[in-house]
Amino acid sequence: MTLSENIDFDNLKPEEFENVLPDLFANGDGKVSQDPRLKKFLAKHPDCAALVRDLETIAETARSLFQPVVDPSDRVWENIQTKLREESISQVIETNNVTGSAEKAD
Amino acid sequence: MNCEGQMTQVTPARPNPGLFQRNQPIAGEAEAIEAAKRGDADAFAKLYNMHKRRVYTICLRMLGNVSAAEDMTQNAFLHLFRKINSFRGESAFSTWLHRLTVNLVLMQLRKKGLNLVSLDETINPGDDDTPKRDFGSRDPVLTGSVDRVALERAVAALPPGYRMVFVLHDVEGFEHNEIASMLDCSTGNSKSQLHKARLKLREMLRYKPQPTAPTESAK
Repeated sequence: MTLSENIDFDNLKPEEFENVLPDLFANGDGKVSQDPRLKKFLAKHPDCAALVRDLETIAETARSLFQPVVDPSDRVWENIQTKLREESISQVIETNNVTGSAEKAD
Repeated sequence: MNCEGQMTQVTPARPNPGLFQRNQPIAGEAEAIEAAKRGDADAFAKLYNMHKRRVYTICLRMLGNVSAAEDMTQNAFLHLFRKINSFRGESAFSTWLHRLTVNLVLMQLRKKGLNLVSLDETINPGDDDTPKRDFGSRDPVLTGSVDRVALERAVAALPPGYRMVFVLHDVEGFEHNEIASMLDCSTGNSKSQLHKARLKLREMLRYKPQPTAPTESAK
């Protein structure tokens, strides 16, 4: 059971509202402003309504940050290639060593 | 709004609430994965080009430092190329890669003394960082929109614990239970940190009247 399931929405106070707000956001697809249970409360408390609106705006804008706009420098890929090359060379050497040892043993 | 407090009237793109259109399959990705599993170097290059921006951006947002983010991007791709055979296709490749990246970043943060000591601390930042709320007075509010660039800057300025949870949840789209398991904290803690992060961002982004420049006569 979450905190927000025990709320008396008809007698909610702004301080209580803030306590349950993280839960309300987490359980309601992030759309607290559209929760019918809060309609009266938000109409009665414009500061709380403004807070909800702002937090929703921030969360919505944050989703647009998912699309990246910056590339790493070319150095990153160069380093990766160098490391992979070194690893494949050392693998070949290891394989050769194993094969060489096996041939000697024969 | 810019960093100095002026809100610009840029309306953000509004995605469908609760619907993250993310990690869509990329043309040619499946073939590149299969070829990379066979050790095809060109396929590695293709996968790198397809995903370098996302991986780098995650690292940059979480680490807040270009050089560290580039090193971590390098690590993530090297890790990917070494472990690509363990990718079974149970989730989207990008989801798998992003999770791998996040885990590597968190592992590095834990390895560094300051972060192990302070992972709890950063998850529970000190009182000074806690956004102040006063319902008795009227807060300045956002003007209905937030500029993407301003938000990006504000996120970068968040305390690490807030930033981590905000980036993972609101930007990357991870669920609270996933974040809790990644950060080794409770789901409630993740929810609470996210809320505090958003409050802090609101505080940073809301309109603040600029002090009037002193006039000659006032000097």
